Parts: sequence; structure tokens; C-alpha cells
Amino acid sequence: MINDSNRDKTLGETLREQGISRRSFLKFCATTASMMALSPAMIPKIAHALENARRPSVIWLSFQECTGCTESLTRAHTTTIESLIFDFISLDYHHTLQAASGHAAEQARETAMEENYGKYLLIVDGSIPMDNPGYSTIAGISNYDMLMDTAKGAAAIVAVGTCAAYGGIPHAKPNPTGAVSVGDLIKDKPIINVPGCPPIPVVITGTLMQFLTFGSLPELDHIGRPKAFYGKSIHDRCYRRPFYDKGLFAETFDDEGAKKGWCLYKLGCKGPTTYNACATTKWNDGTSFPIEAGHPCLGCSEPDFWDGGSFYKALSMPTENITRTVIYTAAGAAAAGVALGAMNRHKKNQAVATHNRTSIDDLKK
Amino acid sequence: MSASLEKGINALTQQVDSTVAAFFTSCVHCGMCAEACLFYTETGNPAATPIHKTEPLRRIWKSEYTLQGRIGKALGLTAKVDEALLSEWETLVYDNCTLCGRCSMVCPMGLDIALLIRKTREGMAAAGHAPEGLIGATTRAITIGSPMGVKLPALMAQIKHVEKDSGLKIPLDVEGAEYMLLLSSMEIMNFPEFISAIAKIFSKANVSWTISTQAFEATNSGIQIGVTDIAAELVQRIVDAAEKLKVKTVISPECGHAYMAIRWDGPNLIGKPFTFKVRHILEVLDELRKDGRLKITGKEKQRLTYHDPCQVSRRGGVIDQPRNLIDLFAENFVEMPDHGKMGWCCGAGGGVSSNERADEVRLKAFQRKKDQLDEIKPDAIISACSNCRINLEDGLEENNMEIPLLSLTETLAEHLAD
Repeated sequence: MINDSNRDKTLGETLREQGISRRSFLKFCATTASMMALSPAMIPKIAHALENARRPSVIWLSFQECTGCTESLTRAHTTTIESLIFDFISLDYHHTLQAASGHAAEQARETAMEENYGKYLLIVDGSIPMDNPGYSTIAGISNYDMLMDTAKGAAAIVAVGTCAAYGGIPHAKPNPTGAVSVGDLIKDKPIINVPGCPPIPVVITGTLMQFLTFGSLPELDHIGRPKAFYGKSIHDRCYRRPFYDKGLFAETFDDEGAKKGWCLYKLGCKGPTTYNACATTKWNDGTSFPIEAGHPCLGCSEPDFWDGGSFYKALSMPTENITRTVIYTAAGAAAAGVALGAMNRHKKNQAVATHNRTSIDDLKK
Repeated sequence: MSASLEKGINALTQQVDSTVAAFFTSCVHCGMCAEACLFYTETGNPAATPIHKTEPLRRIWKSEYTLQGRIGKALGLTAKVDEALLSEWETLVYDNCTLCGRCSMVCPMGLDIALLIRKTREGMAAAGHAPEGLIGATTRAITIGSPMGVKLPALMAQIKHVEKDSGLKIPLDVEGAEYMLLLSSMEIMNFPEFISAIAKIFSKANVSWTISTQAFEATNSGIQIGVTDIAAELVQRIVDAAEKLKVKTVISPECGHAYMAIRWDGPNLIGKPFTFKVRHILEVLDELRKDGRLKITGKEKQRLTYHDPCQVSRRGGVIDQPRNLIDLFAENFVEMPDHGKMGWCCGAGGGVSSNERADEVRLKAFQRKKDQLDEIKPDAIISACSNCRINLEDGLEENNMEIPLLSLTETLAEHLAD
């Protein structure tokens, strides 16, 4: 946490204090602009706006979650400007990171809301239980009440992680807590979904940067995700795609195909139906991503990814168990098909048999 | 005089096969084929939407071959094929379609709509709903040997002129020749220069060829009217002649539908593979070019374009060959906006030119070609189909446009080096 004396400093001042040169700052602006598919002409504007931006207040609420999203953002690797930007925001409330506890912690949230009413950014991770409020409470307040109360004064809400965005694992069948997503409950505020289990850190910082730079929210797809990061499928950007196009697949995890790095489609890869930036931004400081490590994509940035059948079944296979009814229906349909086929063959043969040779004398009535 | 509704329905029932069933089942009614058809784009008549033209065949498939349709038929709910329907569809199937196949190219579900219309014609013809002009042409093809009524003496007279003008002998009935040349009546009567052009080129390139006096007609009215039995008889005549002369290859002349009939439909019509190859004249000429047997001199300075005959380019795949050949003598070649496999039909193929009733809609459809020509303003148009040539000349005259039509083979012959 940055102390209060820093609150009035601009980002530019903060970065220089941290020893970040202007050159590397501009480099960061250029990278981020290209990642967000903005024109190069925007780079100086981003730099100017960022340098003069003042610390926005951010309140982070964690509900039914595993803290993996926070881990993703704060995990230990060399300090980067991204993490400094993350430091730069005034993170006024975050269970895992704040020093305060008990009444003091809740006090911090209430103060931040009061002082920045209508301007603060609300980040949520985790889903909200709607069955029994007692399933998840903080300081005796139910998740639902805390979300609705805090959302009122927020300028915008960022739903971080698949749980907050679409219900995620708590929402998976049979959904014992009645878990729902932020978007299910709040309809009157702009919501940006940043799904993933966990989401890629740079997607969070990119979204924050847009908010800091332009005061606006990024363009979203049909399920509320920033298009710049979720616009293309993993499959379309996957370096193993040429093998798919050639029909070269790994059949097991230790066969020749797997060793040669062929496509993991048959091992259940959900890349074709999953929209995320893993294949290009990669993980662990750009080291690799699951498919590069030899494991099929689980599809974690998609709604209901946990209920899509086995992770190791190819997309083309049915997800549910084939029940007896289905077998009988299929057998019945097949028999009906055979019968109809026989009838049709008979019909056709009859037509052929009835056919008299057509000559030029048969062209008129 | 024994065509009947019953026979028509039986013919349609016979035409339904797994391909037809798959096509009708897959149609998503998107209507994309409408925009691909010049009879729709130039008239705005929604009934001219290609897939709509297949309605009689679709109804038979539905009522006779689907479970839903069979139950519906028993309850009297499935639409029937009757005289009224066939009368209404007659002009759609024959006057408003040249079987050019442009609709088949755009169908997102991969339906060969042109094939479905061709099959629909089988039912129409058997039910006595073929147009008067096409019935006449077909009758002449069977009785006289040519849809235009050209008999052997007429051919012999033209050959005599050609031999006198060119000083070259036209080989007739030469056994064991490599190539047997077929001709369309249009070429014999209107463009005998084609025969002399072939004679010049083949003599320079030292090609062994012949014309059969027994079967010289290339066109097939049976295909156009949609009577498989008649089409098969016409193909059989050529097969008999080619086998008798023991030729290696039969050449289809500058005629689109003749090429489609003999090369692609031929073996299926007679039910067995040919013992010889079939090539379009442009394919043969391009082979000669590749082998360095075509010596061409002089360049055309004028702005030339190429009209793709639909059956040669789109349905036949002979797209690069004409362009290779034109390259030999054209300095200023320009392509039309849509060319090659997506070229626009002249508007008179598939029997439309023998059907006088279609004259009005044919000239309306020509507007599409006119727009293409207005865009590139060529000095002359080259084509490789006599039927396209006649129709384009007709359309140009109607629109007071003076653009000469050239045959590719004839133009090539004019540029032969001595």
C-alpha cells in the first residue's frame, strides 16, 4: 500500500520516484497500445494522460473465490511497470492485501466510498451465493448486501475471474450455494468481465489503463469481455494450428504426435471455442501457456467451462452420458430410417420400371 | 403425342436420388442464389430465384420420399404437382434459366442448383411442358441430325468453299486420326471461318485430324430440353463414329453446352466409359502452345476482353487456357469485372436461344453483360462459344453498341506465323 502522502502525486511523478526512465515508460505505453489494438497515434496521448493521471480509488471485493485471481496479479516476478501501475492505484480495500482488520478494515471501505462516491472503481472476484446468505459473509455482511451497497457509488465494475464474470466453479453443477455472477445481479452499471481461471494479469492492467487514460471503458464482446483481449479464439492464434489444418493430432499424452508437438484437439483441447489472449500474451512473464506446455486448453474464460464434460474429451464428442432412452430413441430412429429408405428405394425402382423410353414423339401432349 | 402429367410426375420421381434428397434437405432458404442469377438481378422478379425454379422436383421429393411429406400426402396436406403448377413453372425452368451454374457457386450449403433445374426439366418435358422452340430443335436433332436442320450436303458445300479459300484439304472420315473434330450447326451455317481456322492451325502444327460424315454435330438438344433418353441417343451417335474411326480424342468445338454434354454428361448418359478422350478445342490449342507447336506472329493493339462461356469456364474448368492463348497475340487485354468461374452468362445458353418465347427476358438479362462492357469499354470481345457470340451480337445490336465479336480460334489462326 502506498501511503497517503502519495495520493496527490501523478503517475509520472510516482514512476520517476521509483527510478523508471521515461524511455521505458514510453516503451510500455507502445506495447500496451498495440496489445489493445489502438493506433500508434494514440501512444503519446496514452503517455500524456497516464503521466498526469491522479490515483483513482479502487475497492476490491472478494466473494466465493480461491484468491487465485489475486495471486495471478501479485505473483512474484521481477518488478514491471504493470505492477507499479497496480501499486499506483489507491487500493483502499482488499481482504488479502490490506493491513487493517476487523472494524478498521470495514471503516476503510466505507471511507473510500464516501470520499470518492460516483468515481471509484469496483473490482470483484468470486461469485455471490443466493441460496443461503450464510454461505459467505464478511464482517457479518452477506456477499449480496456488500456488493449491492458498494456497487451503488462505483463508476464502473470490473468482474475479475470466471467466478465473478459468469459464476465459475461455485456455479458448476449442482451449484450448491446458488452462486451467480456480478452481471446477474447488477444491471445499471457498466460491467467489464475479465474472465479466466485465473485471468491474465496484463488484461487487468490493460483495462485499468484504459480507464485511467481515457476515463472510458474498452469495447466489449457479446458476453462483456474487452474485445482487444478476447476477440480471437485460442485456436486461431495457437502456434499448433498448422498441425490441426493438416490433420496431425496427438492421440495420447505420450505418443509420437505429442512428442512432436501436434494439435491437442483429440485430447480435449477447448481452444476452438475459447476466447482469450493466452496464446499471444502467454503466462509467467511471457514464458509459455498451457498448450505450449503440452496440455489442452480447458476453456476457463468461457461461461460454464466446468460443465462441458471431461476436459480430455474432444469437442466433437457428446458431453453427457448416453442414457438408455437415448439409445432406444437412436435405435428406433435408425430402424425407421432403414424402413423409410427401403420404401424410397421401392418408390424409385417403381418409377424406373414405369418409365417408357421418351422419344421425340412424346414431347407434346 | 403422348406426353402426360402422369409421365411428368414419374420422371420427376425417377430423378430423385440421394444427391437431390441431400440438397433439398440442406437448403436453408437464404436466397443468396437470387443475387447470383442474371434473370433475377436484371428483372427483379423474385420468382426467378434459382432454387425456386426447382419447386416441382422439390414437391415430388417432399411428398414421395420424406416421412413428413408421406404423412402429409395421406392427410391431403402436402402440396401436389399438377398441370397448373407445371404451366406456371414452364417459363421459370426454360426461359429464365440458362443452366449457367452461377447459383451453384454461391450456395453456402453447396447445392448444385443448376443440376436440380436440369433434373426438373426432365419432368417438365415428359409432361409436355417444354417450349415449342426447343421441341422443334430436339425433333430436328433426332430426325435430321442437327437442331438447325443442317444436313450433310450443307456441310459438304461449306467444306468445299473452305477448301477453295484456304487451299487446304479438310480430312473426312480418316480412320486412325488422332483427333475427331465436332462442329455446331451455328459454326457450319454462320461461322464456316472456324473450319478453315482449324485447318490452318492443324496443318501448321502437323496435327492428324478428321471430321466424321456420320456424326459431325456437337450440340445436344436432349440435354437442354431435359430428356435423358434423347440426350443419350445423340451422344451414342458420336461414340459410334469415334469408335468406328478409332480416334484418340474427340474435340468439342467453340460451343459451351456441346462440351458439357459430350465431356461431362456423355459417359453417364450412355452408362459406360468412353474409349477415347474428349477435349475442348481451347484445351487442344493450349496443349499445342505448350509443346511449342503454335507459331504466332504480330500483336493486336486494340483493347480486347474475353467473355467466359459458362459451360466452358465455370462448368468445364477451361479458364486459364483461353487466357494463355490470348496472351500470344494480345497486347492490351483487359478482364471484365466478374470473369473466370464467376463470369456472367450471355443469357441465351441452355436452350434459351432456341426458345423464341424467351426473347424479351433474354434481352433484359443482357443488361448485365452491357454493364460489364460499359465498365471496361473494350474494342472487341473474344469468346469461345458460337451461341454466346450470336447472342452477344444480338444484345449489342439491340443496345446500339458497336463492339465486334471474335472467335478465339479464328483470331489465333489469323496470327499464325508463315
